[in-house]
Amino acid sequence: MIRQVKAELLKVRSTRTTIGLLLGMIALILLFTLLTGLLATASSFAGAENQRQFFSLSDLAGVFSALAGVMLVASEYRYGTMRPTILFTPHRSQVLAAKTAAGALAGFAFGVVGAAIGWALGYTILTGRGITIVLSSGDISQLVLGGLASVALWGAIGIGLGAVIRNQVGGVITLLAWGFVVNPLLFGLLPSVGRFMPSYAGDALVGLTTNHLLSPTVGGIVLVGWTALLAAAGLALTAKRDVG
Amino acid sequence: MTRVVVADSLTKRFGSVLAVDGLSFVLEAGTITGFLGPNGAGKTTTLRMLLGLAAPTSGTALLFDRPYAELEDPALRIGAVLEATDFHPGRTGRDHLRMLGQAAGVPDSRVDEVLRLVELADAGRRRVKGYSLGMRQRLGLAAALLGEPDLLVLDEPANGLDPEGVRWLRDFLRAFASGDRTVLISSHVLAEVAQTVDQVLIISRGRLVVESSLEDLTSRVGGAVRVRSAQPERLVAALAHEELKAIASGDQALVVHGASSERVGEIAFAAGIPVHELVTEGSSLEEIFLELTAEGES
Ligand SMILES: Nc1ncnc2c1ncn2[C@@H]1O[C@H](COP(=O)(O)OP(=O)(O)OP(=O)(O)O)[C@@H](O)[C@H]1O
Ligand SMILES: [Mg+2]
Repeated sequence: MIRQVKAELLKVRSTRTTIGLLLGMIALILLFTLLTGLLATASSFAGAENQRQFFSLSDLAGVFSALAGVMLVASEYRYGTMRPTILFTPHRSQVLAAKTAAGALAGFAFGVVGAAIGWALGYTILTGRGITIVLSSGDISQLVLGGLASVALWGAIGIGLGAVIRNQVGGVITLLAWGFVVNPLLFGLLPSVGRFMPSYAGDALVGLTTNHLLSPTVGGIVLVGWTALLAAAGLALTAKRDVG
Repeated sequence: MTRVVVADSLTKRFGSVLAVDGLSFVLEAGTITGFLGPNGAGKTTTLRMLLGLAAPTSGTALLFDRPYAELEDPALRIGAVLEATDFHPGRTGRDHLRMLGQAAGVPDSRVDEVLRLVELADAGRRRVKGYSLGMRQRLGLAAALLGEPDLLVLDEPANGLDPEGVRWLRDFLRAFASGDRTVLISSHVLAEVAQTVDQVLIISRGRLVVESSLEDLTSRVGGAVRVRSAQPERLVAALAHEELKAIASGDQALVVHGASSERVGEIAFAAGIPVHELVTEGSSLEEIFLELTAEGES
């Protein structure tokens, strides 16, 4: 199983897809942090919740990490490498488990890079503007660790989604529509349901306290639940199905 | 003899299409078998079932006495190529092999070894999108060879190869199977594999129509010999005397069925007729093939 995970990590590293997504994530984090940090009024950084919102980059990093996950599965169908992959590892559950682990590890790496850049830049800008950081060390470690966990889980969620949809374009569109349209709409209209969506479970995990959010622990459990659900669905669809 | 592949009543149905219909055969160690049939005959579907990529509707396929998926590290015993195009274009050939090899515990040194073997050592660090079709075919073969397998299963490996490539492949497969190793290659052109294989399985519409050694197949239908002589009329008579029928085929040439080129040459010599050209017709095999697969369709 270790061998399979190593193989999947090599797949992640050996095309330009992942580095492209990583650069995209870095660009958006820089853009978001610079624009918000420099242009927003000082009062919009007043209080811990506002500062948590500013430093919480898990949504942004999570999208890119999930995209990397989707591509790790869907590109194998797109280019037919799923055939040799399954010839070398005929147990499909093993392939999917290795991909899930690799997706989470890649996602973790995305999270580390995103957090490092976001915190370094955000902290510099705020202190440069003379804004006091009021977050406690507990707040900060929850933001960082919760953020890393959620970005890693998004990578695994992307794997499950890719295994269910199997198509690159379809997978990417579904992910973006789900994350940026369905989740916020549902949260806006029916927060009691919307808060169980992965974006909002992730917000809860990093310690945001916006109305209606779940507690951090429940948020974490819900996020793990989504990962497991999609992995199970992906496996159910992959296990018996013929490979083209 | 070791039975390397045993297919027993393999059947695959896609909706209303019966792609493979009760196919049974056995491949013994050390043989090179051509798996032949026209387009749509069910060759690829059969190979996919052998390799655990598709589940049979009924019947079983055993490789080394087990279903493919139940073998421990099957890639160390069986090398297979189903499509010559199964690569990510943005990945280097070497990384493609490394990522597959790692899953089977194959070290990178073996990756470099197979790259040399298929003559891709220089191209290994280039992205596959810059590879020619022949290079892709060889990269696919390299992947199949990573685990030093005892059985090679190749679906239409000669597709898109130039004559030199076809010859390279033929020599390679012959060398590969010179020991106790086994090869199964599919093709829809008999002539393409005729110089490589020892035996053939011919299928048509998912059913086995012929299982035979190549020699038997050639002699069974009778190879055609093309002979050109300055005195075709005398040669026709001499052949008729030996109860062989010769058909005129353009400029002083005759086509003789049911005799080897040696026999035709000896008859001409005995009758004192000078022969200007004497060849076994390559297309005769193709005629056999068409005849046999047409039989399967009627
Ligand atoms: N996934 C599939 N779904 C539906 N029908 C299929 C599928 N795969 C193959 N078939 C059908 O099964 C039959 C056998 O196809 P197969 O690809 O095995 O033939 P083949 O002998 O490999 O042909 P070719 O020489 O063209 O490669 C064809 O009628 C084909 O249309
Ligand atoms: Mg085919």
